[in-house]
Amino acid sequence: MGAEVKSETIDLNGKSVLLVSVKNGEAAIGTCFAGHTDYSGSASTQTRLFFIGTDPVINLICPNHSNKQSDKLVSFCPGFQGYEPKIHDALGNSFNKLNNGDSLAAGLHDIFSLLEDGVYTAYMSDYYTTDGSGIFFWGGYNISHEVRGTAERSRIIGPDQTFKPCFLVPTEPLDYFTARTRVTTDEQVKHRSVQGIVYHLSGLHSALLKGHHGAVSCTDKDIPYSCAVIEKITEPYTDIIYPEAPPPAPAPATGDGEESAETEVQPAPVAPPKPVFVPEGITGFRSPSVKIPLNAFPKDMLRIIIEGRTEYKPRQFPVLSAKLSTVRRKSVSNNVLPFSVLEKSEQMPDCEMIESAYAIKKLSDEELNCLLRGDVEYNGEVIVSPNFYSSIVTACNFLQFSDTKRFVDFSIAIMDNPDLVATHEYVAHRAAGQSSSKKLYNFFKNAVEGGDAKYEKIIPVAQTFVNRYKDQAK
Amino acid sequence: MAFSDLKPVCVIDDDSGRTYIIGSVFAVYGAVGSEPPLVYSWDMVRNVAVTRKEITIETANKSFCITNKMISDIEEILRTIAIIECRQKEYNFGYQHEKRMFPLKSMYTECSPGKETYTGEGMLDDGETAAAFIMLLNFKLVKFLWLIALLIMLVVFGTLHITIGISRDNILYFVPISIASGGIASLLVYIITHAVARAKFKRLADADLATRQPITFVVSRAGFAACESCTYESRDLVPWSELDYFIESDKMFILYKNNAAVAYIPKKAFDKKFVGGIADIIALSLEQR
Repeated sequence: MGAEVKSETIDLNGKSVLLVSVKNGEAAIGTCFAGHTDYSGSASTQTRLFFIGTDPVINLICPNHSNKQSDKLVSFCPGFQGYEPKIHDALGNSFNKLNNGDSLAAGLHDIFSLLEDGVYTAYMSDYYTTDGSGIFFWGGYNISHEVRGTAERSRIIGPDQTFKPCFLVPTEPLDYFTARTRVTTDEQVKHRSVQGIVYHLSGLHSALLKGHHGAVSCTDKDIPYSCAVIEKITEPYTDIIYPEAPPPAPAPATGDGEESAETEVQPAPVAPPKPVFVPEGITGFRSPSVKIPLNAFPKDMLRIIIEGRTEYKPRQFPVLSAKLSTVRRKSVSNNVLPFSVLEKSEQMPDCEMIESAYAIKKLSDEELNCLLRGDVEYNGEVIVSPNFYSSIVTACNFLQFSDTKRFVDFSIAIMDNPDLVATHEYVAHRAAGQSSSKKLYNFFKNAVEGGDAKYEKIIPVAQTFVNRYKDQAK
Repeated sequence: MAFSDLKPVCVIDDDSGRTYIIGSVFAVYGAVGSEPPLVYSWDMVRNVAVTRKEITIETANKSFCITNKMISDIEEILRTIAIIECRQKEYNFGYQHEKRMFPLKSMYTECSPGKETYTGEGMLDDGETAAAFIMLLNFKLVKFLWLIALLIMLVVFGTLHITIGISRDNILYFVPISIASGGIASLLVYIITHAVARAKFKRLADADLATRQPITFVVSRAGFAACESCTYESRDLVPWSELDYFIESDKMFILYKNNAAVAYIPKKAFDKKFVGGIADIIALSLEQR
């Protein structure tokens, strides 16, 4: 029986959300748990696989009993053999359809039929072509390592906020990269509206199904890497509802102007603490980017989620499992990614900046001054976090992402303050990323030449920055 | 996560018109289909009680009772219990259950069984299992039987002495009478305890639906499994580290944790030629008593 793919667009607070349900899907693309495999090292770690067809593609080792707040160790699977032709064609067709102007639902139909049963959402979003720490994504996962931002729930963003994943994990090995293909994609990317198709994997990271060469070209040519994103909606969420405050009692009607003025000045009676109302049952289901209340779901789609499983074992699981221990014949590439691409990747926002940008809406100058004085509260409210170090780090990252000029000023102010010495090294490292800032150059130069004890922790970073700035100037 | 691929169970209560779905979430559809269902994530569940007749799921404000009559198929009841036990491991809600012949699903972890893995399938034989119960009882009882016999002997001898009085003429009669009384009394105790052991097994077998189902037995270096075949997935094992020791009878291996039997693995579930290998694996992994 063929896959049954239905799509519907719902309105969510004025924002339209595309929902796609898949029934009897082929489960040729997806993720599944592979248990404690021999190489995972500890019985408290679980292995999760992202697979395409009968190929294990990405290996996610989930530490701490798959704790959702723990980052995963990610690596490209050694057992990858190459896409099956049917899947390859489906990906290619979808990519062409999207670039020929088809809607997301129509364009991605072939891919949806290859997924596991469930309800998905699809949308367009710009991606950074990095692993979230300044390394170009393709070839960035050859060795298993902990990848920042792969935790399902970011401690910085918080459990209730939605966020759009924006970093990539490749599904093709680096030896697929050829300079010859890149020459053609360099031209093609200029005319494409959709540069890639991604499937959300974990946290801020998505697996790139199609568009690897395009990613190289887009990064090189500074073209935004716009992707069609597929996210599975599985996770239940509960919004705690605060009951509406009772309307203020009407002021007693008085004819006397002075008395009424007095009543205005009087402080309002202290209201009793608001009771927190936890609704019966969950509020709805969510994916990273969208939270959908139960009553907003079309009935049949809601039933598919409830009757579905969060984890499927695909039919081909024994094959996937067997391939995990095999090694590809060609796993070392002689092809070299362009230096400009690697360099530009380093300049892209990293995971910490993105998380901070989701965690903070805005930071006023008064709030920044409070932080510089060592306070974590402004007007009785916590500015960023009750933890001071965490507040400084998050504020720095937020400013670096949103306003470079304020970031430079703020970081210089921190490094100039001997009371905040615990944060100096981190801030110096972050600031060193702004390699073209004259203000920072002057500050670091003074720090190196002045020999002041308060700059002790930032001297190595400052020295490197000054040298690099001079080289660039030459 | 073990048993991750279990299909959710849909239960319809004809009396109230409700439909319960037990899966990755617990959902309750009301009688009127127009309203969205009440859906609970498992972290909202406070307590689950499983008895031989019903499953009661309690949340902060409500309690839902699913009787076994609502579920037509025994396999579905077992699957429901398996799903609940797996969620219990993940979300740590309260869980009450009756005694089991086989390990709870919360003891399992998903892992690669490895190359040296023995798999067998079969129903638990009532006679064999009852015999194993009696054997276990004998282990505990033997020393007490001697004591009982000795005590009864002394008591009878003493009673005869007090009531009749020992003399050179009757002592030859009194000694064998005392010894026989002790023997008969211990035999009676032995027979009664056997009856108790059989009743205990029967009660346990009645309480655990799995005893009347085909069971898959797996023994490997990584762990073992003794699970209803209808719910078993090939990679779920109870690690040996979860257990303390084992006792081997001529018919089965009995695995223990905290001095309570966790699993009964009958030897006849496996091919005869593999029993030696299985015994080796168990003996290497656990202390034998």
